[in-house]
Amino acid sequence: MTRFLGSTLTIWLLCLASAFGAEGGHHALPLDAQKFHDWLPVTNSMIMVWIAVGLIVLFCRMATGKMSLVPVGLQNFAEWAVESLYGFLENLMGAHLTKRTFWFFGSIFFFILVSNYLGLIPGVGTVLYNGTPILRGGNADINMTAAMAFTFALLWIYWAISENGLKGFLAHIFAPKGVKGFLFWALMPLFLFVGVLEVISIAIRPVALSFRLFGNIYGGEQTLEKLMDLVPDYLAFLPSLPFYFMELLVGFVQALVFTLLCAIFLKLICDHGDEHDEHH
Amino acid sequence: MMTFLAAVAEQPGESKSLFETFGVHWAFLVAQVINFFLVILVLKKFAFGPIQAILEQRRERIVAGEEKLKRIEKQLAESEATTAAAIAKANEDAQRLIKEAKEGAASYTEQKSQEAIAQAQQILVKAEAAANADRERISAELKREFGRLVSDTTAQVTGKVLTLDDQARINEEAISKVGN
Repeated sequence: MTRFLGSTLTIWLLCLASAFGAEGGHHALPLDAQKFHDWLPVTNSMIMVWIAVGLIVLFCRMATGKMSLVPVGLQNFAEWAVESLYGFLENLMGAHLTKRTFWFFGSIFFFILVSNYLGLIPGVGTVLYNGTPILRGGNADINMTAAMAFTFALLWIYWAISENGLKGFLAHIFAPKGVKGFLFWALMPLFLFVGVLEVISIAIRPVALSFRLFGNIYGGEQTLEKLMDLVPDYLAFLPSLPFYFMELLVGFVQALVFTLLCAIFLKLICDHGDEHDEHH
Repeated sequence: MMTFLAAVAEQPGESKSLFETFGVHWAFLVAQVINFFLVILVLKKFAFGPIQAILEQRRERIVAGEEKLKRIEKQLAESEATTAAAIAKANEDAQRLIKEAKEGAASYTEQKSQEAIAQAQQILVKAEAAANADRERISAELKREFGRLVSDTTAQVTGKVLTLDDQARINEEAISKVGN
């Protein structure tokens, strides 16, 4: 009960602060992240990313500074978080792939989560400097989501080839599966066509990943701002109140969805490799 | 998502390319890639590395503990078996020793009894010999005394002094009559 009241009060305060943080009435958050000056190639979303990195470093140093075999405090929480995600990915991808790729998937999940929640802090996207928001949610910038998605795309190709071999990788995409002899060659043209479609699908994946995350986070921030426009300024905090709860959920779900989809894409291409390993 | 689409629709300059509309710039994209690698580096160095190391260390400790426990249980079982065998052997030895002691005691008793009987017999023989010797001695003394009395009496009755030969002849005659 105390926790429920505490979290509700926190959200109320967030709404209030957010409403009062909005300068000079209301404005629409632009689609693109803005530079402060032409000579300074730093955008407001990059500052949020650096803040996120700083907070992650701070938390990690506090949690893992004095590691002990019997965990207490932050170490306990950090271990729980890492172990839970590791177990979740292990169930999905298998022990081998998870051990090999956890550094990436773990980073993706925790960074997106921290970045999404930082975007909900009052003043992010609403406090302006020369008409430009000083801070902008990291994932409300398509450059950030695209950076993660295309990094994954490159790593996906590397992992897929290293797990299957180049021949196996191409066979996985283009070659008929489960048939031999005459049928194999008869179905080859059809599977080549399917392979081309698969390549297009693979090429689209990072774009879809980028826009899915960007759209949800940017849409969420816009929703909160637009809802404040619906009522007089002194009540601006009220309509966004339920949506703060929703955005907390969306922040977590989107981090999970991005990580999960990346893991599934990798599992699909390496599936043959894992079966091969198990047979041996 | 609907808000997002509405916001996209609201953006001025619809003739702009998709990249321009969403603000995709190569420089920013590369910068964000670098930022993302920074995140990966930080998390790998300060979070996943130490945490996974300690989890692995804990897992190994648990496995080692389990193995140690199994070893201890095995050793305990072996120790119990050894103890039981030792106790059984000790019992067996004790039974054997008791039996041997009983047999030894019986044999010793028999031997001692035999020795006692032999000693008793020896004592009896010696006593008998001594008694015989005493009887012989007393008999001889009595005969001698009787002979002396007979000689003395004969000397007093006859009133003559007897010679040694007379005394010896009288004694022999007297003794031969008494002894028979």
